[in-house]
Amino acid sequence: MYDLITFLVLVAVGYVAGTLAEKRHYRSINEREKALLHLPAMTMRHAHYPDDKVKSAELVYGSAVISIDYFKRLLAGLRNIFGGTVKSYETLIDRARREALLRMKEMAEGATVIINVRIETAAIGKKGNKKSIGCVEAMAYGTAVTLRQ
Amino acid sequence: MRYTAREPESNVNVTSTSPIREFLVLTGGLLGIVVGIYFLLGLSVDLIVPHISIGLESKMGAPFIQSLEGKEAGSEQEHYVQGLIESLQKRCARLPYQFKVHVHKASTINALAFPGGHIVVYTGLLEKVTSENELAFVLAHEMGHYAHRDHLRGFGRAIVLMTISALLFGSESGVSNMLAHGLNVTEMSFSREQETRADEFALEVLNCAYGHVAGATDFFEKIPKELDPGKFGHYFASHPQNRRRISHLENLIRSRGLPLAGRQALPETIRQTKN
Repeated sequence: MYDLITFLVLVAVGYVAGTLAEKRHYRSINEREKALLHLPAMTMRHAHYPDDKVKSAELVYGSAVISIDYFKRLLAGLRNIFGGTVKSYETLIDRARREALLRMKEMAEGATVIINVRIETAAIGKKGNKKSIGCVEAMAYGTAVTLRQ
Repeated sequence: MRYTAREPESNVNVTSTSPIREFLVLTGGLLGIVVGIYFLLGLSVDLIVPHISIGLESKMGAPFIQSLEGKEAGSEQEHYVQGLIESLQKRCARLPYQFKVHVHKASTINALAFPGGHIVVYTGLLEKVTSENELAFVLAHEMGHYAHRDHLRGFGRAIVLMTISALLFGSESGVSNMLAHGLNVTEMSFSREQETRADEFALEVLNCAYGHVAGATDFFEKIPKELDPGKFGHYFASHPQNRRRISHLENLIRSRGLPLAGRQALPETIRQTKN
């Protein structure tokens, strides 16, 4: 009985806290993306600028670790039984990758362009042999190129 | 080409969905499946029980017996009851079981039929019986449950799970043990018809073994009313149809003209529980 109460409390806390945290995070992501819109991040490996115009080219990166709440994990667990799109994990991955990109852009403040951008994702905090995902880390990295004016 | 910075209009990577709705749909589906399986199990008990071989039954019984073995094992009481049941089986009740008696120290006045021919007899029962005929009737009643395989049906739905687990994982597996421990065997329920059939079986065995049926109803009648009915297993006051069973037996004795004669005494040591 007490197990059930604990479980229900965890689900309720997970749902409320998780939803609030996600909303707030998305608001912050949207604002910062708008603010950093002037700095393009591109996946192409070469930017054809004349050598004398390039002031600097350096590695920039940003990483973010985001965890999923109890409710969403439960939902994903149910999804694991029936199969299908695990929608409850979508926002987790999306938030982690966009946050990582934003942090990379923040690191490259003042640069003209970021080229050769790559994003890597890793599941971290795995519990023993269990296949459950605790949280994900997304890492974005690229080369920030600054041009002489 | 000119680069114009611009935000994407929508996020294609996140499906806009109501997580609560998804949760309800998924749990609803899961519950539906569980309920469906529960009903199917109930339906399949009667289909499966006649097809369970004695060998498989012993396999299923093994996890139960592990927890019973060692207590009072090899005692004089156990030898005596074992001898009695073997002589009953040899002479009058040819059942394809290898019966094994386990005497258990408890005040419960009952005997239980476990899968695989393991009969648990509580010392409370041995203290109460006064004649060999009386004890023989109780044992023959249990054998009657074996003959009709009521002891398997008594488990209800769990027997289906136990069969599957014994077939798939064997009797030594954790799953089988877990199932066995999860079952409260003392609460195995028998239907009115099952008890009546076992009583009739026992009456026949008693008549065959002793040439008369004295002692058949002794045990039912002996139980004092002031005693806690919960202490008496499936023979006695816990059964509301107790009186009905006595009169049924008496009717049978009368209508078939079964003889009554003197009861055979029980060795005194059998009734005493060593402490």
